[in-house]
Amino acid sequence: MIIVVGAGPAGLAAAKSAASKGCHVTVIDSQARGGGQYWRHQTEVYGYKSNRSADYLNELQQNKLITHITGAQVWSAEKLGDGYQLNYLQGGVEKKISAQKIILTTGAYDRTLPFPGWTTSGVMTPGGAQSLLKGHGVVAGKTIVVSGTGPFLLPVATALATNGARVEIIEAQSPLRWALSPLALLLNPGKFPELIHYASAILRLKIKVSFGSAVTGYNDGEVDISKVRSNLSIRKKNVRSAPADVVATGWGFLPDVTLGGILGCAQTLDRDETVIFAVDREQRANVQNIWIAGEATGIGGADLALVEGAIAGLSAAGSKISVALIWKRFTKRLFARALQRSYPVGAGWQEWLADETVICRCEEVSCQEIIESVQELGAEDARTSKLFTRAGMGLCQGRVCSRNVSDIVAGTTKCAVSRNERLAASNRPIAAPISLGVLGDGIAG
Amino acid sequence: MKSPDAIVIGAGIVGASCALSLTNAGLNVLIIDRGSVSSGTTGAGEGNILVSDKEPGPELTLALRSRDLWFEMQEDVGDYFELEAKGGVVVARHDDSALLNLAYHQREHGVDARVVGQAELHNLEPYLHPEFHSGVFYPQDAQCQPMLAAAHLIRTVISRGGQFVSQAKVTEVLVKDSQVYGIQTSKGKFLAPVVVNATGTWAGEIARMAGSDLPIAPRRGFILVTEPAPQYIFHKVYDSDYVVNVASSDADLQTSTVVEGTRSGTILIGASRERVGFDGSKNIEILRKLAAQATSLFPVLRDVQLLRAYHGFRPYAPDHLPVVGEDAQVKGLWHSAGHEGAGIGLAPGSAALITDEILGRPSFMDASAFSPARFAMAKV
Repeated sequence: MIIVVGAGPAGLAAAKSAASKGCHVTVIDSQARGGGQYWRHQTEVYGYKSNRSADYLNELQQNKLITHITGAQVWSAEKLGDGYQLNYLQGGVEKKISAQKIILTTGAYDRTLPFPGWTTSGVMTPGGAQSLLKGHGVVAGKTIVVSGTGPFLLPVATALATNGARVEIIEAQSPLRWALSPLALLLNPGKFPELIHYASAILRLKIKVSFGSAVTGYNDGEVDISKVRSNLSIRKKNVRSAPADVVATGWGFLPDVTLGGILGCAQTLDRDETVIFAVDREQRANVQNIWIAGEATGIGGADLALVEGAIAGLSAAGSKISVALIWKRFTKRLFARALQRSYPVGAGWQEWLADETVICRCEEVSCQEIIESVQELGAEDARTSKLFTRAGMGLCQGRVCSRNVSDIVAGTTKCAVSRNERLAASNRPIAAPISLGVLGDGIAG
Repeated sequence: MKSPDAIVIGAGIVGASCALSLTNAGLNVLIIDRGSVSSGTTGAGEGNILVSDKEPGPELTLALRSRDLWFEMQEDVGDYFELEAKGGVVVARHDDSALLNLAYHQREHGVDARVVGQAELHNLEPYLHPEFHSGVFYPQDAQCQPMLAAAHLIRTVISRGGQFVSQAKVTEVLVKDSQVYGIQTSKGKFLAPVVVNATGTWAGEIARMAGSDLPIAPRRGFILVTEPAPQYIFHKVYDSDYVVNVASSDADLQTSTVVEGTRSGTILIGASRERVGFDGSKNIEILRKLAAQATSLFPVLRDVQLLRAYHGFRPYAPDHLPVVGEDAQVKGLWHSAGHEGAGIGLAPGSAALITDEILGRPSFMDASAFSPARFAMAKV
């Protein structure tokens, strides 16, 4: 049997391809339904082409070789004989499942950058706004500013506008940056209809779009908008303000690498210094019988995740990988790289901060406290700063802030963040909170 | 850079205490660390300043003095490191005779150890499991935030003329005619007639660079950290098994749980011990045992969520006593290491011993039990 962790595009593709070779597959996922963050709730389709999810979700429900465990939060994993055991929580009860082979498709979560006012109510991630809409049918606000960078702002903004919100998009980067990646565009002609789809939606829904700008403050229902450079430093501060009862702000995605880290899979840094897993040609991790696919091996969107998932599934089933599939992955990866080049997130956002701006919201640690931990106490990296200030020690365990803390420490010491610091920040021994009672009850013997 | 009177290698709590003590004695001190402040075992500790877990003997004498020195350091440096005499409560699960016997002897050596019966015990810790019917209350047991402490001690050293060079890995200890005269590091050469080795689990490596030896090995200790919870725990509470464990050299995992609340509301559960190499791997079974023991002490913790777990490596010597004093073979090379899980508590006392010995002045106790020479003699 093969266990696939995660039921997003990569996980579903992996399950489908492994089952197509006769393997029994168990897909384990934290949500009540398959589809992951990207294909939440197939019944309501907003994003372009997202109806292709139906294929995979049908497979998940109907293929007798595929078992789907829902609402399962994998909190830890361990080696067991020549395979692996996953420990998960389901309805408050701990359960265990083991298999010789594991495919990890743990996906990604929104990357957040702090600005004065970002912790007030009304500020959320685009992913949060979208899940409110798709999951609960709730439009987050009447007047919504969707800001940040990257193509994910488009489906969110158009979905919100379709449902009656007045929407404005504030995109930090210039669309001209796509000119840097002609080959990626040439090899992915399928992306043009998608672009036209969104462009016409934006026109039809009268969504105002600004480029080279960012929301650098939010107060009393008004956003402050500044002109920014491509590294996000301020070109011209507070050029205008705009009313907004909701600000959906997101700066791309960060892969969830916790579970693979627990299993000892080697991590590396992507070009933009996000922590990802190193995998070989067949999506194999450096640890025996573990495959990793999708965002956890580099942010690339659903198209790339589907191909990587298919490759991982076939490889885990012991099948040969066709050259066509490898070529397809190559072109999608080229596009993923173009995305990184077109929507970079530089460290210039630190200029937006005020002394009292909260950086770690779980522990309420301010920008000033982090700077003082460097200047007064001698912290030289995020780990030491965390020990002094508690930044990153709260409920989210630094998933939201650790990268930002590293950048602020580096901005203060004027030294680049080291590779080891980036890698160490993603090292978490527990993948999800577990109550002490349940944990202790699981004791062997 | 002015040539210092003494070099302290290690910017953890042991090194920082030494540096401050030497500075206050009038020496110009240079602190060297291969990382930054508190980047080793200090950064993975709970901040225990305990007298309750020590049996009568030299270590208890050191612990008692050291505990008072912590409060003197706070007066000297400032109230920056959350020092608090929160007190310890040790409870016996089954047979309490060993615990009561220990408390009796500790009292004879100046420890404030108060035997408490059922009513008083549950008055001290209202959420404790009702099956516990007796225990010992140690008001002297204290707590600090060790990383902040090390940072503020070093800051004080610098303000008094000392220096701190971080990210400098020692590559060579310079010795001529059995006398140390400096160190070579990745950031250059530093000369001084006195070098203090306060590198914890790595102390053996530094000793070997000087052509000497020190049998310090790492022992892994886990700590669990929960989400912030209401105040359920008012002291450092532990099972009396802990005392037995600390003195054990059985390589198998033993756990006995120390549970305490912190100012931020999180609950720390620690004190599993096992002797392993520098292996950073996690062991879920250890987490389970710690959780089971903590919830058997405090059933109310069953519904509290575990957020994270971390481990550090506690340096220890074969006889479980710290190594404090001049090297047996190399003059001018001083060691303050091997404090095992008690380094935070014993740091200022060890620093005072080293300072007194370096200056050739009388100290508060006979430190021969901690002498590095004891291993050389054992070998012969």
